Amino acid sequence: MTTSLIDSPDVPVLGIQDRPVSIEVKNVTVSFKSSGKGQFTAVKDIDLTIGKGEIVSIIGHSGCGKSTLMNTISGMVSPSAGEVLVNGKRVTGPGPDRGIVFQNYSLLPWLTVYQNVYQAVDAVMPACSSEEKAEIVIRNLAMVNLSAHQDKRPGQLSGGMKQRVAIARAFSINPSVLLLDEPFGALDALTKGSMHVELLKLWNLDNRDKTIVMVTHDIEEAIFLSDRVVVMNDGPSATINQIVDINLPRPRHKKDIIHLPEYMAVHDKLLSLLVKTYSIDDEVVD
Amino acid sequence: MKKLFTRASLLTVGSFALSMLILLGIWSLVTMLTKNEIPGPVATWTVFYDLLQDPFYDYGPNDKGIGIQLWASIKRVFSGFLIGSLIAIPAGLLMGASKTGMRLLNPIVQILRSVSPLAWFPLGLLAFKASDGATVFIIAITSLWPTLVNTAFGVASIPQDFKNVGRAYGFPVGKYLTKILIPYALPHIITGLRLSIGIAWMVIVAGEMLSGGVGIGFFVWDSWNGLSLEKILSAILIIGIVGLLLDKLFSGFQKWVAYE
Repeated sequence: MTTSLIDSPDVPVLGIQDRPVSIEVKNVTVSFKSSGKGQFTAVKDIDLTIGKGEIVSIIGHSGCGKSTLMNTISGMVSPSAGEVLVNGKRVTGPGPDRGIVFQNYSLLPWLTVYQNVYQAVDAVMPACSSEEKAEIVIRNLAMVNLSAHQDKRPGQLSGGMKQRVAIARAFSINPSVLLLDEPFGALDALTKGSMHVELLKLWNLDNRDKTIVMVTHDIEEAIFLSDRVVVMNDGPSATINQIVDINLPRPRHKKDIIHLPEYMAVHDKLLSLLVKTYSIDDEVVD
Repeated sequence: MKKLFTRASLLTVGSFALSMLILLGIWSLVTMLTKNEIPGPVATWTVFYDLLQDPFYDYGPNDKGIGIQLWASIKRVFSGFLIGSLIAIPAGLLMGASKTGMRLLNPIVQILRSVSPLAWFPLGLLAFKASDGATVFIIAITSLWPTLVNTAFGVASIPQDFKNVGRAYGFPVGKYLTKILIPYALPHIITGLRLSIGIAWMVIVAGEMLSGGVGIGFFVWDSWNGLSLEKILSAILIIGIVGLLLDKLFSGFQKWVAYE
């Protein structure tokens, strides 16, 4: 990461290798105390560097520790060994520089859509006036097309709408890093597809400035959204199997890219990386 | 557009009327079996009707209308219930929010909550030097337990998801309490309050029988001394109906705070 390149205004588009560093996961191991067995190591010796504005997916089988790895970045889980740096600062807990979108939306059901976003903004920016905070909330709800539903409670919304509220909430605190934990896992395929486009739209609106890390088990989703895909080995003591670059041009159109040879190659590669570990002697699986 | 006489509402009213008829039937049967020693519905109704003619008369300390008696009891119940709740809710929040609080308070709760209200009465007399204070005291101390236990349970069962929201967005303590902990626990707290008010209303009769003075419990005891079983049965009906109304009031609160 040469800083001279970053500082130079003459370089409008940076290659992945040339971006400033956003997240550094250094030699991270996470162990939990488990009842009876003593210790359970979820992930082991993880090294991962993510550039600013990069979209990275972490993919792997259930229980491979991909959520645990992401939680060390969010600060919800502390590593037992190693450290995580975000924008050069050591992560010791959750912080306003990282917006989190949880797997099950985690909206507060007793608050309206507006209040769900407002309370997050209010907690993160106590110094702002209430007009400024209200403006932020309204702008972010408009970005995800939920202005008409701002006075509804989460119970009155569909799954896709709930997830858009959760995304608006994460964006509203204007974090430099956005962390999404299987964000679209509970949605039907059509809703999922439009959510992908919306997420990329938000990322574009922000000059592709935000770093996005997403946990998923959906190969197509990972390819469509990401610059790189981190494939995890199976746990316990999961490690990184391989990091696969997705060299598809942006903006990407779902209908078009699936016919590109590069797409098919990378899809096959990810599939074989993931399925290899699971195919016992069943040829049908492939 | 709600119709007044929907199938469901007719069914509710109809089954309530039938249920009352069954009650009257059993009552009449008991009257017959005891050869009118226990007055029947008709005899009781005559006395009940008389009582309601002038519910607020006041002919000195030992002769007051049923309305005054009832109002005195309701005031006592609510003061005792209020004091009890003001202790129970904060203690419950503390107990539910911290494991240490739970460990320290739970044994105390388990021992004290099964003590009969009558056993507390002498302590109340000692502490307040007055029977009125003692009655409010026993209402408070016997009715606070369901609120305390339910509040503690509500707070202790906050799903990790909601706690995570507070952590991820750095909610300060005040915001965590008012936006996450209390809204989540509120339905549990109201359920506790509903059980507590039921207990408070049950305790009032016993308390007032011991304390004397004025109140529905005293009225029952006074009627026994005057050998008017019709008055006792009227009082029982009134106690039951007021108890039902109190329960309806709190079930209304429960629906009001439900968020799903």
